[in-house]
Amino acid sequence: MELLTDSFISAILLIFSLDPEVLSIVWVSLKVSGISTFFASLMGVPLGFLIAYGSFKGKRILIICLNTMLALPTVVIGLFVYSFISRRSILGSLDLLYTQKAIVIGQIILILPIVATLTIAAISRIDERYRKTAMTLGANRRQTACVIFREARFGIVAAVIAAFGRVIAEVGISMMLGGNAKGFTRTMTTAMALEYDKGEFILAVALGIILLVLSFGINLIFNFFQGRTRA
Amino acid sequence: MLYVLSKITRKYGSRTVLDIPLMEIEQGKIYALLGPNGAGKTTLLNILGFLEAPATGDIFYHSTPVSFFESYLQNLRREVVMIDQHPILFTGTVYKNVEFGLKIRGIPKKKRGIIIEETLDLVGMSDFVQAQAHRLSGGETQRVALARALAVSPEVLLCDEPTSNLDVENQAAVINTLKQINEQRKITIMFTTHYMYQVSSLAHHTFFLDHGKLATT
Repeated sequence: MELLTDSFISAILLIFSLDPEVLSIVWVSLKVSGISTFFASLMGVPLGFLIAYGSFKGKRILIICLNTMLALPTVVIGLFVYSFISRRSILGSLDLLYTQKAIVIGQIILILPIVATLTIAAISRIDERYRKTAMTLGANRRQTACVIFREARFGIVAAVIAAFGRVIAEVGISMMLGGNAKGFTRTMTTAMALEYDKGEFILAVALGIILLVLSFGINLIFNFFQGRTRA
Repeated sequence: MLYVLSKITRKYGSRTVLDIPLMEIEQGKIYALLGPNGAGKTTLLNILGFLEAPATGDIFYHSTPVSFFESYLQNLRREVVMIDQHPILFTGTVYKNVEFGLKIRGIPKKKRGIIIEETLDLVGMSDFVQAQAHRLSGGETQRVALARALAVSPEVLLCDEPTSNLDVENQAAVINTLKQINEQRKITIMFTTHYMYQVSSLAHHTFFLDHGKLATT
């Protein structure tokens, strides 16, 4: 108990001292997670929209596949991407392994199904009358799609926020593809795992506190947008 | 004739919900469509509004056969507007709602403003121009939906039970507006209703629909 209390107090002091190492780790985490969320949203939102809005053969099976991908463990994704970007594999010449780009690729695979499935859910919740009203007022397919997208915007933003919350807290992909290089690919979660291995708890607890505060903030925003969706 | 429907059927699964050998609608008239729940009234309005294709049969609009291809239908839909029994307003202000149909028709902003003002005035909703659409009452929503439809100057207005959820005051407002736009703008109107007094006070012709079959008076 004493260990926890001492570590906690020291961790708080470390955070407020604006320690450069802590700031660097937090920055790398936010940067990598932000970029992967951006690209996953760029692909996942239109994908989810097209699946939800369109009617085509195999739609149900595609949704089942996306839902299944939600359960993909991060280590499996890490292993999968590793097999493509390791020195001796087909993309080895690109020197991606143990870079931030490698983490971003893995994280995109992790959250793309989250963004797509939550976008599908957000679009599916939109009242059918919006589509009918837009059509009867003379809107073409693109204009009708814009109406649906606009009405579902809070749900879509919630999907993006949920995806960011998932990547910021993941450890498997960052560890396997990033390599936990100090100041370069060391994220909050990989740093915490390393500090735990070393038996140094202060930095780990400090990062844990920051991660929790960030998660709280993300959930707060997520809740706000979900509330707007229900309203 | 504005519309001629010939041997129209519509099926949901194996159930035939509409079976009309012949139906003719004249331009500039008001038609009432009566019938019990599930008689096929809304389905018929959807077909007349080019929102739903019949299973079999032909539709002639201005003596031209209608082909149910999306690109072709879009032009027809710009002439025929349908108002739902429970109309839904887009998120945003009343102004934005009424503006929607005008904007997608490429009408300049200044002209849009004038039309919106006139149309909201016609339905008695001028004071609500900047109100949030989702905060309106049922009666106000119905009137804004009517204004949104009228703003695009349709040739035909299809109203699915336009007064079903309204109090007496709002019912009278909607009925008066329909009568006024028919007289002044010569808009052809078809509305479904359960109220006989509306039929006698508003409609020039009445259709009865029962189990998808039509009878005329």
